[in-house]
Amino acid sequence: MRRKYDVVDYVIILILTLLSLIMIYPFWHEMMYSLSDPVKAASGGMFAVPKGLNLKSYWSVLRNKSVWTGFRVSVIVTLVGTVMGVLVSAMLAYPLSKKDMPGRKFFIGMIFFTMLFGGGMIPNYLLVKELHLIDSYGALILPGLLSAWNIFILKNSFAGIPASLEESARIDGANDLTIFFRIVMPLSKAVLATIALFTAVGYWNDYFSTILYIISKDHWSLQAVLREILSNAQSAMSSSGISVRAEEAISSETVKAATVMVATVPILMVYPFVQKYFIKGVLIGSVKG
Amino acid sequence: MAKLWKYRYLYLLILPGILYFVIFRYIPMYGVVIAFQDFSINKGIWGSKWVGLEQFRRLFLGLSFPAVFRNTVIISLCKLVMGFPAPIILALLLNEVKSRKFKKITQTIVYLPHFISWVILAGLISMFLHPDTGLINEIVKFFNDGKGIDFLVSKEYFRSILVITDIYKGIGWGSIVYIAAISSIDSTIYEAAMVDGAGRLAQIWHITLPALKSTIVVMFILNMGGILNAGFEQILLLYNPRVYDVADIIDTYVYRNGIMSSNYSMSTAAGLFKSVISMALIIFTNKMAHLLEEDGLW
Repeated sequence: MRRKYDVVDYVIILILTLLSLIMIYPFWHEMMYSLSDPVKAASGGMFAVPKGLNLKSYWSVLRNKSVWTGFRVSVIVTLVGTVMGVLVSAMLAYPLSKKDMPGRKFFIGMIFFTMLFGGGMIPNYLLVKELHLIDSYGALILPGLLSAWNIFILKNSFAGIPASLEESARIDGANDLTIFFRIVMPLSKAVLATIALFTAVGYWNDYFSTILYIISKDHWSLQAVLREILSNAQSAMSSSGISVRAEEAISSETVKAATVMVATVPILMVYPFVQKYFIKGVLIGSVKG
Repeated sequence: MAKLWKYRYLYLLILPGILYFVIFRYIPMYGVVIAFQDFSINKGIWGSKWVGLEQFRRLFLGLSFPAVFRNTVIISLCKLVMGFPAPIILALLLNEVKSRKFKKITQTIVYLPHFISWVILAGLISMFLHPDTGLINEIVKFFNDGKGIDFLVSKEYFRSILVITDIYKGIGWGSIVYIAAISSIDSTIYEAAMVDGAGRLAQIWHITLPALKSTIVVMFILNMGGILNAGFEQILLLYNPRVYDVADIIDTYVYRNGIMSSNYSMSTAAGLFKSVISMALIIFTNKMAHLLEEDGLW
């Protein structure tokens, strides 16, 4: 590489190492805390390893029925929302990448304008209410289904596909639909995966839609359930039919830590595998056009 | 007509998406007219009485909204001043790292908080800041004669917590776009500069930063457009009545007054006020970018 290591290099490495430790420690701390014995954990301090290994906290989180229903709701919303969102976005973006389509400018302008201006929370809420979507999966999926940003990323990416590929298919008698589904989509796996990842993270972490649109607890997303547990471990437990004895009160902190871990571990497990996609995605997004 | 027929399949493809934008984006845009009504849910948008600018007058003459507006701007500006340069500095530091492996591991770690929801992060924050058992407070107690600070109910500290945790969540993710821009710089420029005796700082100042300029401008425009988005979910999940004075922002105000108290018209007026200012800001910054001979956002 460039030069030999000098003092500045070591200082930079030191700064970045410290930053990384600060970034990662909270998660490590919670993991060790959640695995600790509640009474010993209450003494506090740093946690390099669990204090008195104990899996009881996980047991009480997993015993909580609403965690499971929340998990189910979030999985359904994330899967359906991501598949629908990516498909409809791609269907919209592809024709917009065709420079000769009449009306293209109008549609692009119409979508672009939504990046500048929106109705805001109350009109959105009233719309969902008018459509009778309150308390349904539709309320969790539809309002955030498409974003102008994703459509423009896809449009730019489709525009980069060599026209010759489509021309030869057209000579073979393929129409625009066949070309889109058989040629353009398979060629665009990387960008589609990126958009899918962004969309999925958005749905999985969505908390506010539940607060806004969902009344019945059967349709609460995982984040809303987690929030309830985190903001008050004891009352959440007792309201879901688990009795809270005095000696269990102290364990509420480890239960919270276990809750954080239950929600974080799935992300930690998927994360390393998708990392290359999202870096690519931001790269595509940063190329304007 | 023949031309439209030729493109029939393409129009078929865009149909669901365009319908979506009409229903879920443009109808709510029309819905902002209730800001000029005395809207009641029973009479609906067609039957409610028109009151002109009365809702805005109530909003600005009332006690809470001016304070809410000020909070929004203060919190946002603090986040902008502290949080905007942070990812740039991180990207510059990462660029100086020679070991690919170290760079890769650091990037993996700093991107992570972006993927964690505010619900989880708020849980983590309140546990770490807990006045009795939180780790941060154990450190505070050590220096403060055993007295902890209840940060999350403290008007003095609450905004700082918002800014710091916002940087925690966003610094890594924000740096990606700059790292990408840096990686597209031709490495022979650096080599030539080194032959000419340019040191590390000179290289950053004369090569890297100029190459980042247009990216910085675009990110700045986007940030300006979002200046009235002071971090709705973050604040909603962390605040409490004891810090409303310093933490209540337009979005939380709209939520509490509109959704929870069913004060639809007035909170729509607050939301509309916010949308219009945001749009004006983004157009204005984009114009400025053009004047400075940058590409801007469009």
